[in-house]
Amino acid sequence: MTLFRQLLSNKKAMVGITILLIVILVAIFAPFLTEYSPVKRVGRPHQAPSWEHWLGTTRLGHDVFARLVYGARVSLAVGFGAGLAITLIGTVLGIIAGYKGGVVDEVINFFTNMVLVVPNLPLLLVLAAFIGQASPLVIAVILGLTSWAWGVRVTRSETLSIRQRDYVKSAEMLGEPSWRIMAFEIFPNLISIVGINFIGSVIFAVITEATLEFLGLGDPNTVSWGIMLYNAQNASALSVGAWWDLLAPCFALAVLGLGLALINFAIDEIANPRLRTGGMLNRWTRMVRIGEGKL
Amino acid sequence: MTFLLRRLAFYLAAFLAAATVNFFLPRLMPGDPIQIMFASAGSELSLENLNALKLTFGFIDAPLGEQYLRYLQSVFTGDLGRSIKYFPLPVTELLGRALVWTLGLVGIATLLSFCLGTFLGVMAAWRRGTIFDSIVSLTAIFSSSVPAVVVSLIMLFVFGYQLGWFPNGYAADPLLDPGFNWTYISSVLHHGTLPMLTMVIVLTGGFAVTMRNNMINLLGEDYIVMGRAKGVADSRVMLWYAARNALLPTVSSLAIALGTVLGGSLVTEVVFNYPGLGNTLYQAIIARDYPVIQGQLLIMTAAMLIANFVVDLSYVLLDPRLKKA
Repeated sequence: MTLFRQLLSNKKAMVGITILLIVILVAIFAPFLTEYSPVKRVGRPHQAPSWEHWLGTTRLGHDVFARLVYGARVSLAVGFGAGLAITLIGTVLGIIAGYKGGVVDEVINFFTNMVLVVPNLPLLLVLAAFIGQASPLVIAVILGLTSWAWGVRVTRSETLSIRQRDYVKSAEMLGEPSWRIMAFEIFPNLISIVGINFIGSVIFAVITEATLEFLGLGDPNTVSWGIMLYNAQNASALSVGAWWDLLAPCFALAVLGLGLALINFAIDEIANPRLRTGGMLNRWTRMVRIGEGKL
Repeated sequence: MTFLLRRLAFYLAAFLAAATVNFFLPRLMPGDPIQIMFASAGSELSLENLNALKLTFGFIDAPLGEQYLRYLQSVFTGDLGRSIKYFPLPVTELLGRALVWTLGLVGIATLLSFCLGTFLGVMAAWRRGTIFDSIVSLTAIFSSSVPAVVVSLIMLFVFGYQLGWFPNGYAADPLLDPGFNWTYISSVLHHGTLPMLTMVIVLTGGFAVTMRNNMINLLGEDYIVMGRAKGVADSRVMLWYAARNALLPTVSSLAIALGTVLGGSLVTEVVFNYPGLGNTLYQAIIARDYPVIQGQLLIMTAAMLIANFVVDLSYVLLDPRLKKA
């Protein structure tokens, strides 16, 4: 709880949380924000922004603003869904490996290292290519199943040091079962790492979903920011001068990414006052960046 | 030595795992794997060629175990099969053509961003808390959270379409004959500038943040305080006492980044229609040219593993304790 209170008094966090809240509200209240359906032809193709169509129309005559606000739902759902799965798997495996040690640790660590060295995004591409037209749900599941390794490594190394602390030792002396020690003695002390892991995974999932869809691996009937980019690119929006078609989802993705990154930096500052922007986060930015390098 | 051997064995196992995934993926998909993989090939290839193609992927009339061994044999002898779309071009040759462009574009962009990011990180850490630091940190946050596809599209829109300073695609003017003359080289440079600039923007932030945090960690160390106390010039303390040591962990992330170079930068290459490995992979995905996709995955895995091994090697050289372990 202290983490949340400290977040509220951090300037970067407040900006980030505000951005995130706005996106969430827009996604929830999408039907009230626009009179148009995101999948119906409501105007002539490629109309420039006007009072009727705030962000213009696509080549198929869809309203760009309507697609943008409804698309926020998919980006958030995939981001938070996959982020939750990645964090859950990473945290559980990391704590178990770090606390149990021995053969369990060896096995988990071996698989973690294996997953870490096989480049993640090409693997995603191959998977998505075989599945063909992956729906947002399928993309989220693939992301969750393939991207947990960094979380395990970070959580495990932190658990290794927490395990040596006195309160863990005394809980062991008292004969507490190991699941209780892991859940109530160790986990609460990992909360900032788990938080950074979670937000970092959300950023990664949002970016990756949009990228996979932009590359044509998503289901073209979805209303999402990635599919908007894909359609705009396919309609040669830039060369015919329909910049609104392409720049609207670009802007949305940039703003959401920035908001999430600010929250992450803030958690890190709180967890690491000496550094202000410290080590854990570092690994996450690197992961997101290197991940993209591969794409 | 045992340390390196153990790592080597691990990387071999990892490569085997990637190859295994490659082998089983089409077989795990619902439906007939041969149908899925070679659907587009059926109409274009003769039966004889199709059979030769299937052979490299282990599709033989035999138990699964034997199919698997046959597949591994072809992978480890460097036979990645042939492209379906450009039959009978071998996958290795198709990827080889793209390799040159990717090495030039992504390799140089990675090195440039590393130098620029490291320099900015050192300066920001040294002037911690100043306006300069805030600007660098905020820019780094921004650069590391905005998707590469967004940066690429905006760069293309502003400099390619609106201002018209740079061409919108290709690695060189397609009307020119490739050759070692100034017209061709200048065309290559002109076409490469925009994608390279994009990649530098995308990559620099990560390096800058890493370097800044490493530096800040070190600035509290005793030998830095000692250096200042005995009156060593500021710039000397900054560069030779702090930056030199802070650079070590960064070098390993550079090696990993270079390991991913072989993947090209898919997004940037696709947006700028640059004929590198990333774009080749993209074209293969669109055409569902599975041999090329799978070959590319294996090559990228191999590159990553080699980069990781180089990092291990450098650790052994830099940290003598590991030699005995």
